[in-house]
Amino acid sequence: MFDKLLEVKNLVVEFATDTGTVRAVDKIDFSVFRGETIGIVGESGSGKSVTSLSVMGLVPQPPGQISSGTITYYDENNDPVELLSLSEKEMNRYRGNEMAMIFQEPMTSLNPVFTCGNQVLEAIQLHLKLDKKAAKEKVLDLFERVQLPEPERIYAAYPHEISGGQKQRVMIAMAMSCNPKLLIADEPTTALDVTVQKAILQLMADLKKEMDAAVIFISHDLAVIAEIADRVLVMYKGKIVEQGKVADIFSRPQHPYTKGLLACRPPLAYRVDRLPVIADFMQVKKDDHGVSVVTEIPASVSAKLGAVRSDPEVRKARLNSLYKQTPVLEVKNLNTWFSAKKNFFGKTTDWVKAVHDVSFSVYPGETLGLVGESGCGKTTLGRSIIGLNNPRSGKILYNGKDLLKMTASELQDMRRKIQIVFQDPYGSLNPRMTIGAAISEPVRVHNIISGKKAQKEYVIDLMETVSLKAEHFDRYPHEFSGGQRQRVGIARALALNPEFLICDESVSALDVSVQAQVLNLLLKLQKERSLTYIFISHDLSVVKFMSDRMMVMNAGKIEELDDADTIYAHPKADYTRRLIDAIPTGGDFTAGDNR
Amino acid sequence: MISYLLKRLAYGSVVLVLVTIIITSIIYLAPVDPARLTFGQRSDAATVDAKRAALGLDQPLYIQLGLYLKDITPVAILADTPAHRERYHYQKILPLGTHALVVKWPYLRESYQTGAPVSKILAAAIPRTMILALAAILLAAIVGIALGVVAALKQNSWFDHTAVTLSVAGISLPSYVSAMILALVFGYYFSDWTGLEVRGSIYDLDDFGDEAYFWKNLILPAIALGIRPIAIVTQLTRSAMLEVLSQDYIRTARAKGLSYYKVIFKHALRNALNPVLTALSGWFAALLAGAFFVENVFDFNGLGQVTVNALLSYDIPVVLGAVLFTSVLFVLINMLVDLLYAVLDPRVKQS
Repeated sequence: MFDKLLEVKNLVVEFATDTGTVRAVDKIDFSVFRGETIGIVGESGSGKSVTSLSVMGLVPQPPGQISSGTITYYDENNDPVELLSLSEKEMNRYRGNEMAMIFQEPMTSLNPVFTCGNQVLEAIQLHLKLDKKAAKEKVLDLFERVQLPEPERIYAAYPHEISGGQKQRVMIAMAMSCNPKLLIADEPTTALDVTVQKAILQLMADLKKEMDAAVIFISHDLAVIAEIADRVLVMYKGKIVEQGKVADIFSRPQHPYTKGLLACRPPLAYRVDRLPVIADFMQVKKDDHGVSVVTEIPASVSAKLGAVRSDPEVRKARLNSLYKQTPVLEVKNLNTWFSAKKNFFGKTTDWVKAVHDVSFSVYPGETLGLVGESGCGKTTLGRSIIGLNNPRSGKILYNGKDLLKMTASELQDMRRKIQIVFQDPYGSLNPRMTIGAAISEPVRVHNIISGKKAQKEYVIDLMETVSLKAEHFDRYPHEFSGGQRQRVGIARALALNPEFLICDESVSALDVSVQAQVLNLLLKLQKERSLTYIFISHDLSVVKFMSDRMMVMNAGKIEELDDADTIYAHPKADYTRRLIDAIPTGGDFTAGDNR
Repeated sequence: MISYLLKRLAYGSVVLVLVTIIITSIIYLAPVDPARLTFGQRSDAATVDAKRAALGLDQPLYIQLGLYLKDITPVAILADTPAHRERYHYQKILPLGTHALVVKWPYLRESYQTGAPVSKILAAAIPRTMILALAAILLAAIVGIALGVVAALKQNSWFDHTAVTLSVAGISLPSYVSAMILALVFGYYFSDWTGLEVRGSIYDLDDFGDEAYFWKNLILPAIALGIRPIAIVTQLTRSAMLEVLSQDYIRTARAKGLSYYKVIFKHALRNALNPVLTALSGWFAALLAGAFFVENVFDFNGLGQVTVNALLSYDIPVVLGAVLFTSVLFVLINMLVDLLYAVLDPRVKQS
């Protein structure tokens, strides 16, 4: 029915590392047909990005090396072209022209010193051989088609002057500029807000139809792939473990890893006590030769989800007892503003009202979810509470005492009680400090345990609490995965035995499968240590899963604040409704959540 | 943009006033009497006192400082007298009775030693140093950036290792040592072959007493002065290029199908040049003021040599004039670089 466009056979890509060669892609075979969209799903390190970079001829060499296999591209006459045997110069005729790529990080994927228009223009002039005026016309037309507001302004704007979503639209315009037959999108929406993600997915689907291009769409999130793809390849540790039509993958997943991926996203239609994780479906052990062996634990997705479904009566009782207490934290008319424009003498003439007259309270033991898009002020609010931003006015009462009026020594004491877990597990750990030292630091600073040996024991105990191993104590952050680093961040926050934890986008940088593990850990810790959480995220499904009450924030103000399930079922504000509509559900396949 | 420029200018002027105050204080506080130095050992007390009064050295320090500031400021309110007119050659803007608001060139006074106006002494020395520093910095920019780019592109090759090792050696080598080695080897042992000489400035009186240019005398001093900046620029360019080449936008450029050279020279180099530019401008300013050793070895007669000679003989007006001129240059060059940043990197304009 379709003609083949791309055929990958027996592809092996290896990377040289300090500890030997690592096989990133291990003997994979797949084909892409003209005009179809295939999704590649898998966690970070599964080889999905390397696969796409191999097709484009962009695998960094060294350290990378394509050890064997063929990648065949069929040109417009259906003549096969062996991409791997082309010279760099010949390859440049295909790159950007016949095949184009969109990358994950719109923030860093555009060159900061050239205007957006210039960067798209360059590709058009190179491949279509148009003169500058005609090429500019084409760029403006493209900008219009990717629905950028004011194409003329964006044309002359530098990348830092436009938003992340707009940058990704510029990237899409660039990729579409020469009417490619194959478009590779590597996690194009992962760094974006859900609402922006929805718009970009819609745009890509429309453009694809219009241009009759084939698309390879890569994501760690099956729900996103289901929104756009016809067929799915599931990759695990460099291998394709399962492939098939989206509907089949959702209704009859075969491989335990696929089942795990399907089950680990927080369900929307009902509430669960904890999230199923990959480990519920399979166990990975190393045999005597150091080779990983996967053992399947036979179970269906629906059975696993059914087993963790929570009892509404238990929840009702919990909420009742929670809200009978006096609040532990009361925020009253809080304002945190940043100066947006200064006059000649450094006096601020215009403000960004990041937190604008916000009031709410948090009860002991509850989880208050805080959801909103990037730039809505949720992070500033969290940072203001912990004292990392200086509010302009308002009150933050903790157990009745105003944090903003405390003396330095009172604050020092308070800082032990309120801790924060940051978003970026890569940026928030000092690369030159061992994990053990990073967790011990607050213990030493606040001197809660004296004696080196006792401190170390305490820290190892903490590490075990967050499922890290004692032998990790002397290792450095680069030896850990994103999920492990986030556990370190949590252990560090717990080191001072806090009562109150602010989780600021703590799982946003993680794969969905790892996200599930970290969320479960946070829930477990809350129960064991009777912690109070403010859980901040841009992902409403995650916030709904975690929270007792949920607070929706937009442009520095609270849109609504109520029981999480109530808000999800009956959103009052338009803004909330938009956030809910934007959650990727996998289209028809999971609409009823009958997974 | 204009408010940014004005702010820079305001900061620059504050720096200049502070430099003047600090330098004058240090020099005037030193336990030496310039008046006595002028006349030597045999003069009587009355003559020395008269000279001291004439130079204003009998006044308290703050008055001397005020007088000097009045002399050097380009805009001032002065008593409109013939003596002032002759000294400052000012242009009246606004007459204010006996006084007037005037614009004038900074008046740098006269040398204690020769009596010649300081501005004339500096004007003779500055072009030589200017040309020398410019030649050295151009050399550093061209050779250093080229070496750095090639080393980065061929990371871990023999070329890379050689470039890095040599640049470490170049940074560690003091300029007077390299100057002497160069002078000895190319200006003495091989002088028949190279045609270069050990000593000499770029313009001087020739055998017939006319002014003549000797451009070849620029070669050795420029190399001697340029070695350290070359080494530093090489290392900076190399590390900046390596960093930039690993950025996502380089991958984007390659994914567009751009040729290797376009990716390197258009997309990578533009981004890598920022730190290099800072280093180059800093070095240029430093070379202008600090070429003394090299100037001395080659007898180049530039600003550095004039300054140090003046210091040795306590010729305070010459020292002050030279230091002030250098400071003004520093401030101006830094302002220029800030502007260049905004051109090279559009993100700077916002902050």
